Amino acid sequence: MTPQDLVIRMLPPFAGWLALAALALPAGSPLRGAAVVVFLAAGPGTALVGLCGPALRARSARGPVERRDPGFVRHSDLLERMMLAVFVSIAAVMIVATVLIATHTFSAQRVLLALTLLTTLAAFCPRLRASPPSRTRKGSVL
Amino acid sequence: MEPPSRTESRTHPSSESSTPAREPVTDLSDLPPLWSARRAPGLRPALPLLAALALWLYAVRHTDVSRLDDYGLVTALHPSFWAGLAVLTAGFWFTVRDRRRPGGWPAAYVLGLLVMERATQAVLYPTPLYAWAWKHDGVIDHLLTAGGLQTADRIGDMAVYDQWPGFFAAQAALVRLLGVDSAAMYMAWWPLASSLLLLFPLLLIYRTFTEDRRLIWTGVWLFFVANWVGQDYFSPQSVAFALHLGVLAVVLRRYGRSGTGGGSGRRGQAVWTVVLTVLVMAMVISHQLTPAMLVVSLLALVLPRRHRDWVPVATTVVIFLAWCATAALPFLSAAMPDMIRAVGDIGGNVERGYGATPTGAGALATSWAARLLSGSVLLLAAAGVWRQPVLRYRAMPLLVITAAPLPMLVASSYGSEMIFRVLMFMLPGVAFFAAAALLPKLRTLAAAEAAAEAGARRKTEPPARRGSGARPRTGFGIRVWGPLLVLLAGTAAFVPSYSGKDRINYFPPQEVALVGQLFDEAPEGSLVVAANRNYPLAYASYGSIDHYWFLEDDRSHVDEIVRDPAGTLATDMAGVDRPSRAYFLFTQGQLANSEMNGQLTGAQLNSVLEFVAASPRFRLVAENSAGAVYELRQPEEAEGTEGTGSVEETEAVEGTEGEGGGER
Repeated sequence: MTPQDLVIRMLPPFAGWLALAALALPAGSPLRGAAVVVFLAAGPGTALVGLCGPALRARSARGPVERRDPGFVRHSDLLERMMLAVFVSIAAVMIVATVLIATHTFSAQRVLLALTLLTTLAAFCPRLRASPPSRTRKGSVL
Repeated sequence: MEPPSRTESRTHPSSESSTPAREPVTDLSDLPPLWSARRAPGLRPALPLLAALALWLYAVRHTDVSRLDDYGLVTALHPSFWAGLAVLTAGFWFTVRDRRRPGGWPAAYVLGLLVMERATQAVLYPTPLYAWAWKHDGVIDHLLTAGGLQTADRIGDMAVYDQWPGFFAAQAALVRLLGVDSAAMYMAWWPLASSLLLLFPLLLIYRTFTEDRRLIWTGVWLFFVANWVGQDYFSPQSVAFALHLGVLAVVLRRYGRSGTGGGSGRRGQAVWTVVLTVLVMAMVISHQLTPAMLVVSLLALVLPRRHRDWVPVATTVVIFLAWCATAALPFLSAAMPDMIRAVGDIGGNVERGYGATPTGAGALATSWAARLLSGSVLLLAAAGVWRQPVLRYRAMPLLVITAAPLPMLVASSYGSEMIFRVLMFMLPGVAFFAAAALLPKLRTLAAAEAAAEAGARRKTEPPARRGSGARPRTGFGIRVWGPLLVLLAGTAAFVPSYSGKDRINYFPPQEVALVGQLFDEAPEGSLVVAANRNYPLAYASYGSIDHYWFLEDDRSHVDEIVRDPAGTLATDMAGVDRPSRAYFLFTQGQLANSEMNGQLTGAQLNSVLEFVAASPRFRLVAENSAGAVYELRQPEEAEGTEGTGSVEETEAVEGTEGEGGGER
């Protein structure tokens, strides 16, 4: 793992701990809002998609028949990764908040703390890999 | 038939290989125009975009929304807004058509469109729009106050929100984490945020079927222009719809039989299914209808052999049923008889409910603009499917998904809204095929190769043999200007369709302040009576304060209220014991909704207010330019003023009867 990879991998948990620290700022402060929104919108999803990345990449993506633009597949895969980072983050916020509210243990700080711990755990976990292919794989990668 | 493999497709010459620049030049007319290389700097597409945004900025600074008429924002907007929209649309069309432009420019134009479409109201209005958005703010406030989920025993009909709490729980956390008083502080910007969320899956779905960025971005443009239904406001369905499209994008790309000959088999599918599970779970805990739409879409998707995979649909059905059989069971068991009755009743399901009939020139005009917009896009889509056989084959799964929501019209009325919801769920596919109708005919790789060879042969022929008709330009104007006119008309029609009823949906700060004051002062157990629920904060404190919206009652009772406003309302409001109070709330939002949606006329509703104001049974509590609040006096209080009041009231009742009889 290169230092650059390490920095990228640690960014989501860092954003989570930063958002937690930002709660010390005054209520309604734009800095506090930015830290919280950025983490909730992309942090958990980026870490979880990163954790599953190699396994997800093992499955080729379907694309258009015509292949004129050599960068098209790569850009589609990048777009998919961005979408999953955002959507999985939003889903994680909704699921964690619902679990806490359904068990009468809800507090916003707990939601943020739980998501930050989940993100940190995902960032430190070894990457998930799919089982080796039975034969040479063709097709695109994520 | 499987699509050609990638290896095979790579062997085909690209369309660029036959461009004049790479061929021997035999005719000066084949040379690319000089100006395109020398005078077209990379930033040239920025000019219309910047001009449009400048016009928009000027427009929002010079638009007065304090006196909206029945046409809503349409007549209130400064003319420069329309000019900006036209410049933006024309700039987009000429940019997206030009293959030499980098792909980022159409994206910039679509972002510009979203700003002009979905942020204008947030900038113009000092308070958030839509009574429904305010209702959702009330739900979040209730969750924060209660600290947990409650049943119908305690909060009545509003318990339905506690059975699908995903969106509200997340927003409750966000409100606290931001440190703001309520979601009303940011919910005006939700239409822009939720529309931006849709961009990801929409692009991904379109990119699954074509590389042609003209088709992709024109489809995206048409989607946002035709998506006037207004489910982008602060609501669970706004997020659930994005998740729905996200799941479809993943399923279209990663499931089904592999287009590369099954090389990937089931590898990695378990992990993709985990990702899908997370997205579907978030959707299922947030909204009732969206998972049902997803199930029918995924079921339809197993029809084409290319995409036959039961894993996504089985996963979704299991999660959906698990939630319905546990957390959502109380609501579903109560609603099941009505739901079963609605199955097959297409007429009833697409019928407008009482109080949803556009009334008056403004409401009718904007309603027709919306219908024309939707009808035109649907017709365009049909034309696209008909004239693009190659796309029809290649994008067959998208065609199937587009038609999938239609059976839901047979299944339920969804509060008279099903037709709009079905339209919205069809729109991603409809917009794609509508865009295809506006663009040149797509050819197969073999046909493109043959055409390229023919073009090359033509260029190598001596000029004398080619004749003057060698470069036919017939129809060039129609191909360029025709679609532009369609885009301009559609983009302009979006504004009345989306913002034409802003007189109903906008609540000025005075109205918010008046209702806020009422709920601040109302003791626990109080009753608030209003004409309808179209006012801000209507659901504030719904756990401790009851509501009665008399225009939603039986028509005969509404007639009784019109005949004898003060007497009937006083009877309806009786039985609230001290220290609780019974309030009558009248606001401009209620009046606009009643007038423009075919409930009572403005004159009838105003007369109800006048008689309440004149009655000794009511006491004025608060009043401002946006409305008034009256409190029902207790019987012992009313006795003190009964002498004069009874005479006034008798006169009032007689007057009402005469007026009401004349109206009817």
